[in-house]
Amino acid sequence: MRAHAAPETSVHSTSHRASQGRWGYLLISPMMIGFSIFFLIALGASFVLSFTRWDLLNPPVFNGLSNYRKIFTDSTFGVALFNTFAIAIPHVILRISIALGLAVALNSKIAFRTFYRVVFFLPVLTMPVATATIWKWIFDPKYGPLNGVLAQAGIAGPSWLFNQGTAIFAVVIVLLWSGIGYDLIIFLAGLQAIPRDYYEASALDGASGWQQFRDITVPLLTPTTFFLSVIAVIGSLQVFDLVYVMTRVDTSNRLPTLVYYIYERGFEAGQMGYAISVAWVLLILILGFTFLQFRLQRRWVHYQ
Amino acid sequence: MNRRTPGWYVSRILLHAFLMTLAVIFMFPFVWSLLTSLKTMPELFKPMPSGSIAQVVEYMIPLHWRWENYQQVFDTVPFGTFYINTVLVTVARTIGGVFIASLAAFAFAQLQFKGRDLIFFILLAGLMVPDQVLIVPRYILMREFGWLDTYQALIVPLLFSAFGAFLLRQFFLGIPKDFFEAAAIEGANPFRIYWDIYMPLARPALSAFGFLMFLSSWNEFLWALTITNSTEMRVLSVGIALFEGQYNTNTAVMLAAANLATIPLIVLFMFFQKQLVEGIALTGVKG
Repeated sequence: MRAHAAPETSVHSTSHRASQGRWGYLLISPMMIGFSIFFLIALGASFVLSFTRWDLLNPPVFNGLSNYRKIFTDSTFGVALFNTFAIAIPHVILRISIALGLAVALNSKIAFRTFYRVVFFLPVLTMPVATATIWKWIFDPKYGPLNGVLAQAGIAGPSWLFNQGTAIFAVVIVLLWSGIGYDLIIFLAGLQAIPRDYYEASALDGASGWQQFRDITVPLLTPTTFFLSVIAVIGSLQVFDLVYVMTRVDTSNRLPTLVYYIYERGFEAGQMGYAISVAWVLLILILGFTFLQFRLQRRWVHYQ
Repeated sequence: MNRRTPGWYVSRILLHAFLMTLAVIFMFPFVWSLLTSLKTMPELFKPMPSGSIAQVVEYMIPLHWRWENYQQVFDTVPFGTFYINTVLVTVARTIGGVFIASLAAFAFAQLQFKGRDLIFFILLAGLMVPDQVLIVPRYILMREFGWLDTYQALIVPLLFSAFGAFLLRQFFLGIPKDFFEAAAIEGANPFRIYWDIYMPLARPALSAFGFLMFLSSWNEFLWALTITNSTEMRVLSVGIALFEGQYNTNTAVMLAAANLATIPLIVLFMFFQKQLVEGIALTGVKG
């Protein structure tokens, strides 16, 4: 296209290019100044501080690798790590499969499509703290509607948020409720991108609805599924506000997760250096899982 | 698809039955929370009767609609202050964040300058790092600036969205370069071109990113919890969480507060439903 433009207009002159360069730096400067201060400097400081003992009031004291060594023997860290994964694994798997199923159902010319789409999306808009407040009472052992309904069926419901096992179950349910709508919208967009002729051709070959789902929909949606699973894994490793409100009573938490533990060690127990080193373990976990997912994508993601 | 056999009708009815059941389950927490927020204290602590569905429905509906619970939210805690703070901080972060990200995105997509791609790559790498790693140094920076417990601290560190720069750059890349060159020949400087030509064209992407930024900012919790400590500086999310942590809180009032925090976003969404769903889908596909 540029070949058709008049040769050597002022746009291509050297002085113009230099001025374009200056404008480039000028326009990115607000972003890059902010990024340098609140990201690059913060990241460097965080790395250094993870090797110190520090209570925020006195100057930090360098203590080598001992924070990281301590992590391996810290049983509360182990519990937080266990809880985080016990929440993350069922959450990611169920969220993606339910959202995919719903998206396929809602992608057909079905009545009330918009209604369903809006209903499933509304929880996405709800503030996690508000979500947690509402669900905390739904799970209330005595006055909550869930155990009320179970009692109708003659089942004595458990004290959901008071035991580790049932609390994990409850948190996964709430995460699904608040996250499925987002994945649904993205899956629907992915489905729109699959050419209709694929289905028409396979219908002529006599393929059933299930065969079409298995042989066309699922493989062609794999890039979307991949994107959503990367996001879901990163998000579930960082669960915090929901758990903070649902399971915390005064100063103790019945279901500590990694981010809760970072917050609690640093800002409540005054062990900043240690809290930061736990955050670095979280960063390494996130990088590791993201890297692993990118490596594995070659085996199952089909790009058109 | 259009084979209207009896089997087709049966499968459609089953599908609707399933979707409706799920829709009821999804709506239940909202309905329950709205109804319960209007109950009186004694009604709250009445266990659900076992018996017919009619009895359960009757139990869920408040005997006396106690609208005063909503008034009480504002009497018990400075909820009005939390509200004003949240609106102020969210609007500032959204407008500032969209402006800063779109400026950078435009430069990365349309201007030639040395190191452009390397700088962009470093910015992108930043997306992988969770905020929890950065929260402590940011807190210290705020302390050094003397910004603890201020609006600046709530707003400034969260203005720089690498995600936004990435998303909007993708959009700006799709706009033909001819637009830029034609305007440049006329003597417009790059800022004018960005503002007069590219920004109007980018409206769908800008509103989608703006809405996502508004949503995440309205709901943000960890940073606001860390950086503020006076009641006057708290935002809704933190205000509700701390209010909730107290034993003696009236559940109905608590739920009223949760509803009040959620309603503005739902209203906003209802107004822009179509554009937003499309915009969010766009962010996912390009993501």
